Amino acid sequence: MRTRRFRLASVGLSAVCLLAASLTGCSKSSGAGSDSNVSLRMTVWSSDKSQTALFDSIATAYEKSHPGIKSITFDYIPIGNYTTALTTQIASSNPPDMAWILERDAPDFVSSGALVNLTPTLQKTADYQYGDLAPAATKLWQKGDQLYAYPFSTSPFGMFYNKDLLKQAGVSQTPDQLAAAGQWTWQNAEAMAAQVAAHTDKQGLVVRDWDYKTWIELASIWRGWGADPWSADGKTCQFDSPQMQAAMTFLHNAIFNDKALPGPGHSADFFAGESAMTVTQISRASLLAKHPFDWGIVPLPSGPAGASQVVGQAGIGVMTKGAHKQQAADFLAYFSSAANTAQLARYFPPARTSQLTTSTLATANSLLTAQQLQDVVINGIKTGSVLPSHTNSAKIAQLVQSALDPMWTPGANVNDVLAGVCTAIKPALSQ
Amino acid sequence: MRRAATTTLPHRNARPGRRWRKPLLYAVMVVAAIPFVFPTWWMITSSLLPENEVLSYPPKLLPLHPQWSNYKTAFANYPLAHQYFNSLYIAVLVTVGTMVFSSLSGYAFARIPFPGRKWMFPLILSGLLIPTEVTIIPLFKMVDRLGLTNTHWPLIVIPILGAPSVLGTFVMRQFFLAIPDELEDAGRMDGLSRYGLYFKIALPLARPALASVAIFTFLNSWNMYLEPLVYETDKNNFTLPVALTQYTDAYGSHLWNIQLAASVTTVVPVLIVFIVAQRHFVEGLAQTGLKG
Amino acid sequence: MHTSKAQPVPQPAPQPVSTRHRPPGPGRFGAWRRKDSVSGWLFIAPQTLGFLAFVVYPLVAVIYYSFHSSNLLSGVTTYSGTKNYSQLLHDPATPSVARATLLFCVGLVAINISAALFLAVLLNQRLRGTTVFRTLFFSPVVVSLVAWTITWNFLLQDNGGVNAILHTIGIQGPNWLRGGNSAMVSVVIVQVFKNVGLNMVLFLAALQGVPQSLLEAAELDGAGPWRRFRSVTLPMISPTTLLATIVTVSGSLQVFAQIQILTEGGPDNRTNVLVYFFYQQAFDNHDFGYGAAVAVVLFAVILALTLIQWRLRKKWVPFEL
Repeated sequence: MRTRRFRLASVGLSAVCLLAASLTGCSKSSGAGSDSNVSLRMTVWSSDKSQTALFDSIATAYEKSHPGIKSITFDYIPIGNYTTALTTQIASSNPPDMAWILERDAPDFVSSGALVNLTPTLQKTADYQYGDLAPAATKLWQKGDQLYAYPFSTSPFGMFYNKDLLKQAGVSQTPDQLAAAGQWTWQNAEAMAAQVAAHTDKQGLVVRDWDYKTWIELASIWRGWGADPWSADGKTCQFDSPQMQAAMTFLHNAIFNDKALPGPGHSADFFAGESAMTVTQISRASLLAKHPFDWGIVPLPSGPAGASQVVGQAGIGVMTKGAHKQQAADFLAYFSSAANTAQLARYFPPARTSQLTTSTLATANSLLTAQQLQDVVINGIKTGSVLPSHTNSAKIAQLVQSALDPMWTPGANVNDVLAGVCTAIKPALSQ
Repeated sequence: MRRAATTTLPHRNARPGRRWRKPLLYAVMVVAAIPFVFPTWWMITSSLLPENEVLSYPPKLLPLHPQWSNYKTAFANYPLAHQYFNSLYIAVLVTVGTMVFSSLSGYAFARIPFPGRKWMFPLILSGLLIPTEVTIIPLFKMVDRLGLTNTHWPLIVIPILGAPSVLGTFVMRQFFLAIPDELEDAGRMDGLSRYGLYFKIALPLARPALASVAIFTFLNSWNMYLEPLVYETDKNNFTLPVALTQYTDAYGSHLWNIQLAASVTTVVPVLIVFIVAQRHFVEGLAQTGLKG
Repeated sequence: MHTSKAQPVPQPAPQPVSTRHRPPGPGRFGAWRRKDSVSGWLFIAPQTLGFLAFVVYPLVAVIYYSFHSSNLLSGVTTYSGTKNYSQLLHDPATPSVARATLLFCVGLVAINISAALFLAVLLNQRLRGTTVFRTLFFSPVVVSLVAWTITWNFLLQDNGGVNAILHTIGIQGPNWLRGGNSAMVSVVIVQVFKNVGLNMVLFLAALQGVPQSLLEAAELDGAGPWRRFRSVTLPMISPTTLLATIVTVSGSLQVFAQIQILTEGGPDNRTNVLVYFFYQQAFDNHDFGYGAAVAVVLFAVILALTLIQWRLRKKWVPFEL
C-alpha cells in the first residue's frame, strides 16, 4: 500500500513538473489577441527620471481618452546592449509593441520588415500635419516614400566645457570667445585640452560614450576633415582615405603626444567635473542639473574641411511581430503629435519644422540660452549630417572596433591600421 | 580536513633557521591573502564613496564620510529588491528540485540493479561535459516556442532536470554506493519497498551528501549569468548577476559606486553564511570539483 | 564523466548497525529483481526525460541549426549547407580566437595549479590559525562571479585602485584591461584568484594523505625538503594534480561573464575566447546559424580534450589510488 503511494507520488511529482511547463505556455498564448484590454510596451534606452515621468504622463493621458488601452509601459534597456537585447526580444515570443531604434541600426530595421509602415496611420490621424516632418530627419527611416519609424530625437553633437576648470588651467579664451572670433577649430580645442591636462589633475577632452570602443562617436571629429567610414551607398570602405588618415593622425597625436584626451581605460566624466571639455549630444545637457559648475556649450569645432555638424538620431518603430500593431501605431501618432513633441523637445529636439524655433525650444528647455539653442541645436539640425549607419551594423561595428584596437598604442602606424580596417570590413560591406 | 592534526609528528630537526620559519610562513600567508581579501574590501569601501571620488588619486582606502545613500539609490532607482527576490526563490526551488531528482537517480544508479544502468549512468554523466553555450541556442528556441521567454520557468526547470543536475546525481551516487548492504537488507526484512528503502533508510543517512548538493546547486543558481541574460528581457525578471551589470546612468555611463553597492548586497550575505558554515562549504564544493 | 575517477570522496561512514546474522541478499528475492527493473527506471525517469529534452535534443538541434542561416529580425531561416563552417574557417577573427582560447587555457592551468599547490603546501605547515587563511583563500569561490568581476573591472581601470596603489609605491602600472598583453594576463589572474581555492583544498586533502612514514624514510636517506617534495610528495598527489588539471581545463573553456565584463574580447580580439566569440556571433550579431556552428566547434574541442585526457591518465598517474 505504502510503496504504491510513494511510487505514485514520485511519478506524479515529475509529471507535474513537466506538465506545468507546457501548461503555462498554453495559457499565456491564449491570453493575447483580445482588443478591449490592450497593454502596450515600448523599449527605451533612457532611465532618466524626468524623461520617464514625461513619457508616463503622455501615456496616462492617452489611456484616459482610450478606454481600450489598459496600460502603456516604457521598458528600459541600457544602451550598452540595447540593440542586442531588443533583437532577442523581437525574435522571441514576447516582442515589444514599439521600440526606440538607434540611427546606426536604422537600415537593418527598416529593410528587414521588422517594422510596420507608419505613413498610412500618421496621414489619416487628424491634426497630425504629416508634411511638417522635416525630410532631412525622416530620410534614414524611409523605404521608398513610406516612413517606418518616427524620428523622435534629432540630437546635434556639441562641445560642453567647464569654465572653472579652463580658468584653473590658465586658458585665456573660452570656446565661446574663440567661436565668436571665428577661431573655434579642432587645433585650438586640442591645445586647450592639452593645457588643462598639463596644468591640472583633471583631463582635457573626452569624446563621451566612445571609450575606445564605440568608434561611431568619433564621427564628430572626422567630419571636420570631411572623412566618413564608407561611401554614401555603403559599398566602399573609406577608412583608408587621405581625409580619414589626417583626422586619425590628429586624434592619435592628441591622445598620445599631447595627452589632450585620456588614454584607453581611463575613465573621466565631464559631468562629474573630471574633464574640461566633452563632445556629446545636446540631450545630455540634462545631466548638468545634477553637477553644477560654470559651464558653456558651443558647436563642434571646425576642421580643415570647415565646420561640420553631426547629429545623432533615434526613431520609434512599431513591431510587425507585436500583437497590437494598429493600437501601437495609433499611440505613436498621439505620442508624436505636435502638442506632445513640443513637450518632448525639452530632451529630444523635434523633427517638426514648425518647432525648430528658439521660442518653442526655449519654453521646453530652460538649461540652454536662446543663443546656445540657435547655434548648437537649430543650426546643428539644419546643417548636420546623421551618424554613419549600415545594414548588418552590429557585425560591422564589431569588426571595425577590433581592427581599430592596434591604433590605441603610442607608437601605432595610423595609416597601416586604417588600411587594416578596410581589409577587415570589405567582405561585410559588400554583403 | 582537520584530521591532519592527529597524524602530525613533531618536527625533529632543530636547525638554526627554524626560529625564523614560523614568522616567515605567516608573512608569506599574509602577503598571499592580500589579493583574495583586497577586492572585497575595496568593493565595500568604494560603495560608500561619492561618485567623483571612486576613481580619485590618492586612493581612498577608508571612506571618511560614508555615503550610505548609494545603497538607497541602488534599491530606489532600480528594482534591486525585486531582483533579489527572484534570485533567491529561483535558487531555492532549483536546490530543492535538484536534491529530489538527483537523489532519486543517484540512488537508482548506486543501489537498484536494473537493466540498462551500466550504460545509462555514463550516458547521463556525459552531460557534465557539455558547456551551457553549446545548447543555449536550441534551448532558447524551445523555450520561446513554449512562450516561456521572459518567465522564470527556463531558469528553474532546465537546471533541475538538465545537464546542471548531473553533478548532483554523481555526488549522491557516490554516497549511496558506500551504504552497507546490511542496512537495506534489514529494511527489507521489515517489509519496506524500494521506495521505502530509499526514503526511510538511504535518504536520512545521506544528509551530508545532500548538504553538499544543496550548497553547490544553490551557488550555481545564484550565480547563473548566461541563461538569464538570454531568456529574460524585463528588468523585473532579471536575477542578480544580470541586474548587477545594468548599473549605468540614463545614458549608459558607469555608476561605479551604485554598482558596487548593489554588488555588496549580493556578496556579503553569502560570505557571512560561508564564514559561519565554512567547513561544510569547503568540503561540499571541493568534493565535487566545481568549474575551475 | 571525468570526475568519475575523482578523489575518493571523504564520506562519513554510516553508523554501524549490529546485526546478529547476515540477512539474505537481494538476489534471493525473485520478485525484487522484477520490481527493481521497473522501479530503477522510474527513479531515473525524471532526469532521463530532462536529459533527453535539455541535453540530447539541443545537441542534435544545434548541429541542425549550424547548417542553416537565419535572420532574427525578419525571422527567415534557410538551408545553407556548410556555409557557416566555411565562414568560420575564413573569418579573420578565427586565428585570434584560437590563440586567445589556447593562451587562456594554458595560462590558467599553469598558474592555477601551481598557485593552488603553493597555497596548499603553505597551509599544510600546520601552524596555528591556518583555518583563517584557508577561509580567506577560499572565500572568492563563494562570491558571485559577476560581482567579483565587476569589482576587478573597477580595480583594473587605468586610473583604478590597482594602479593607484602601484603608483604610491613608485611603480607605473600597465593599462591592465586595454593593453595588448596585459589584458590576457588580467583575465587569467582574475579567474585564478576567484577559483584557486577549490584546487587548493583538493591539494590540501591530498597532501594530508601522503604517508608521513614515506617522507621520514626519504629524510633518513638524506633527501632534503625539496627533494622529498619532488620525489615523494609530487608523485603521491599526482592523481589529484590530474583531476585538478582536468577540471581547470574544462572550466577554462567556459569563461564568458569574465570576458564580457572585463574586456569584451579586446583589444584586437586578444582575449576573445571561443565562448565569448560564440555569444558575439549568436546574440550580439543575431546570427544563430553562425553561432550554432561555433557552438558545434566548441563541443568538438571539449570532446577531443576529454578523449586526450582519458588517454593521458594512464601515462601520467604512476599508480591508481
